[in-house]
Amino acid sequence: MMSETIQATTATSRRRATPSALLRARAALSAEWIKLRSLRSMLVTLVLAAVFCIGYADLLCWRFTLRWHTFDAASKAAFNPLDTNFNDLVIGVLFFGVLGALVVTNEYGNGLIRTTLAATPQRGLFLAAKAALLVPLALVSSAVIIFAAFLTGQGILAGHVPHVTLADPGVLGRVLGAIFYLTAASLIGLFIGVIARSAAAAMTCVFGAFLVLETLLDSLHGGVWQHTVPYLPSNLGNALWLSHSGSLASPTVAALVLAAYVIVLGVVATFSLRSRDA
Amino acid sequence: MSAQAGTAPYAGASLETRFRATARSEWIKFRSVRSGPAVLLATAVILPVTAWLLCGYYGHNWATMSPASKASFDPVFISLRGIEGAQLFVGAFGVITVTGEYTSGLIRGTFIATPQRAQVIAMKATIFAAVVWAWCTILSFAAFFIGQSLLSSPAKHVAIGDPGVLTAVFGGGLYLTLVGLLGLFIGVLLRRTPAALAALFGILLVSPVAIGLLGGKLSAQLAEFLPDSGGEEIFKLLHGGAYTLGPWQGFAILAAYVAVAAAPAFLLVRRRDA
Amino acid sequence: MIEARKLRKVYGHTVAVDGIDFQVKPGHVTGFLGPNGAGKSTTMRMILGLDLPTSGTVTVGGRRYQSTVWPLHEVGALLDAHAVHPGRSAYNHLHSLAAANGIARRRVDEVLDQVGLTSVARKRVGGFSLGMSQRLGIAGALLGDPGTLLFDEPVNGLDPDGILWIRTLMRKLADEGRTVLVSSHLMSEMALTADHLLVIGKGRLLADTPLSELIARNSDERVEVRAADSGRMAADLRVVGARVTMEPDGTLSVVGLGSKQIGELAAERGHVLRQLRDVTVSLEEAYFRLTGESVEYRAPNPARVAA
Repeated sequence: MMSETIQATTATSRRRATPSALLRARAALSAEWIKLRSLRSMLVTLVLAAVFCIGYADLLCWRFTLRWHTFDAASKAAFNPLDTNFNDLVIGVLFFGVLGALVVTNEYGNGLIRTTLAATPQRGLFLAAKAALLVPLALVSSAVIIFAAFLTGQGILAGHVPHVTLADPGVLGRVLGAIFYLTAASLIGLFIGVIARSAAAAMTCVFGAFLVLETLLDSLHGGVWQHTVPYLPSNLGNALWLSHSGSLASPTVAALVLAAYVIVLGVVATFSLRSRDA
Repeated sequence: MSAQAGTAPYAGASLETRFRATARSEWIKFRSVRSGPAVLLATAVILPVTAWLLCGYYGHNWATMSPASKASFDPVFISLRGIEGAQLFVGAFGVITVTGEYTSGLIRGTFIATPQRAQVIAMKATIFAAVVWAWCTILSFAAFFIGQSLLSSPAKHVAIGDPGVLTAVFGGGLYLTLVGLLGLFIGVLLRRTPAALAALFGILLVSPVAIGLLGGKLSAQLAEFLPDSGGEEIFKLLHGGAYTLGPWQGFAILAAYVAVAAAPAFLLVRRRDA
Repeated sequence: MIEARKLRKVYGHTVAVDGIDFQVKPGHVTGFLGPNGAGKSTTMRMILGLDLPTSGTVTVGGRRYQSTVWPLHEVGALLDAHAVHPGRSAYNHLHSLAAANGIARRRVDEVLDQVGLTSVARKRVGGFSLGMSQRLGIAGALLGDPGTLLFDEPVNGLDPDGILWIRTLMRKLADEGRTVLVSSHLMSEMALTADHLLVIGKGRLLADTPLSELIARNSDERVEVRAADSGRMAADLRVVGARVTMEPDGTLSVVGLGSKQIGELAAERGHVLRQLRDVTVSLEEAYFRLTGESVEYRAPNPARVAA
């Protein structure tokens, strides 16, 4: 009996000091980064996003240079080079939303979530680490993609049709707005993924929220619709990078509402993660 | 009954018996696809609710619409516009009916039980199509009636017996079935859920947007050959809008996409490792 | 030490674990036995904070798992060899776990070496055989050099070499003073490895005893006797009150008399004995007697069905 107690103490007596909050955060982030970079599918998604967003933007710009001579005066006056450049973002945002969702649904496919939560039982920390990794990743990749699409697109337009540079009024704001939109979309995707837990459900919701909702509801005006349609996720994005606002919200309001979506979904996701069995 | 092991005469089971056995097993598996009920429920909500929202809106605001809008207003199409949302769920359901088996490894058991893989896929597709068609057709009718009830005079509305209406409403169920099948065969081809879903949504939902952005005549011409725009025609009452090909041509285009996915699916499923 | 108090888990209408109390002490290999569906995996998941108990508590080293920071240093578990992403390499999988708990990178190489997976460390886990996945899971459990280890079916998929290896490993870990909890179906393995047993059936604890005691309690002390004249021997034994069963081959199974007494009786009566053997019941038999009533999923005996 005595020797048993001594032996037990020896084995567990390597009592380490509880690591500081900073160390814990670094450890969680480090683990998430290893997980992200060790999966080819994540890289593939990003590469596809880049290829599409930049490539299609260039294609659209090139097409407009071809069609320019068929435009009447009114169309020529209404032409907005930045709109043309960024129009493909209605599709580009889907890549980012799906990326965010996959970052977490990858854990649920094979039950990896159980191994992960056994290593990091503090579920709030786990989710925060995923979000904290996703934000800079989405920011940097969207910035690279947006700037590359802008510069190459405007480069194609230059010399044939009106084009803009970053120095022109309002342009930088819209470029930054686009980056903000894509980053927010990836976070929304992440939280949807946590709540939905399966890749299929999460991807369906992302496509539904960013693509289909607008198609269904866009023709509705007036009354209650005036106050809801502009706040659909895709319309918030439009408000941030599209030139004419029409019935859309102002860029500032759009950014705030988008941020609110992210926060509300984040709260729901945290609650869902903590109260359910793994 | 001291039969010797392994001498039971199974080899003589007729084609019909084997067919029915496969059918029964696929039916059981179909019933137990986890998100099945959720998808069916989602569809049951989206179709009527969209009809209620949209037709209620147009019925209410009829007087303020322009004459051109009034003329081009399609009471059947508007009632059934929920299909554009439901197709998301039905298509995803088609995908996971197949990719679910691959992810869980169940597919190996399936192919061990029935080595005639093409038969398995065909049976899966048939059962899927039958259930989805029945369910979505019922919902199309429901959405139609809800919609028409909200489009009371002076708003343009139709009765089920009016020419072309019945075809259009049936067309709704048919469209969703084909979308589901497209998802199913893409699932067989790609085998992994995220990739298959991305491909399906890309072809179905993203391509119209992408083509639309191109603008001009090219855009309109290419759009004719998209599964979404082509297929839509079959649940419209009024044709001759931007879409120049007739409804049955549109339907044929959607069916062609399904066939183009199905053909390699049947071929590859036999050649690849499970 | 793992300690559970009135631990209860209910899923909908099913009571998976019905208010159990137990302690798993360090320095022993504790076997967790029970029929399928008895609640073993659920209990293990609750120990690790993966499933939240409906009521009751379970602690490791006096603390709830969810409150333990960097728990891999204290508790290592192999629950499910498939709980890995197939697209990742074994190395990266372990590396991510190590990083999550501030464990040095060289530990990853060390545990891979310990389980014999160094040669496939950079290969995708999706291509692993079951045995390799199991070993990867064991590597993950050993990563933080923890004082408590939980293994759910560790020998699943291992070859005889591997089975011997894990048995030796578990004994070594227990001898080092660690707490080792092993859940398994393999009776023969359990009998060789475990020295303390927790037996669970239909969510209830049926036994919490050292292995030797379980066997002793569920044995009838039986003696096998083979005599030249079985019939007369049996009669003589019955006269003095023993219960005698005659096997088809003439062997007598005697309950109620010790082998010494039987030997003396035989000598008195002039029998020629060919065999006199004490029989203790195997763990398997003891287990079946104990859990007989509480098997959740029982297949009919194939020998009986075929007849």
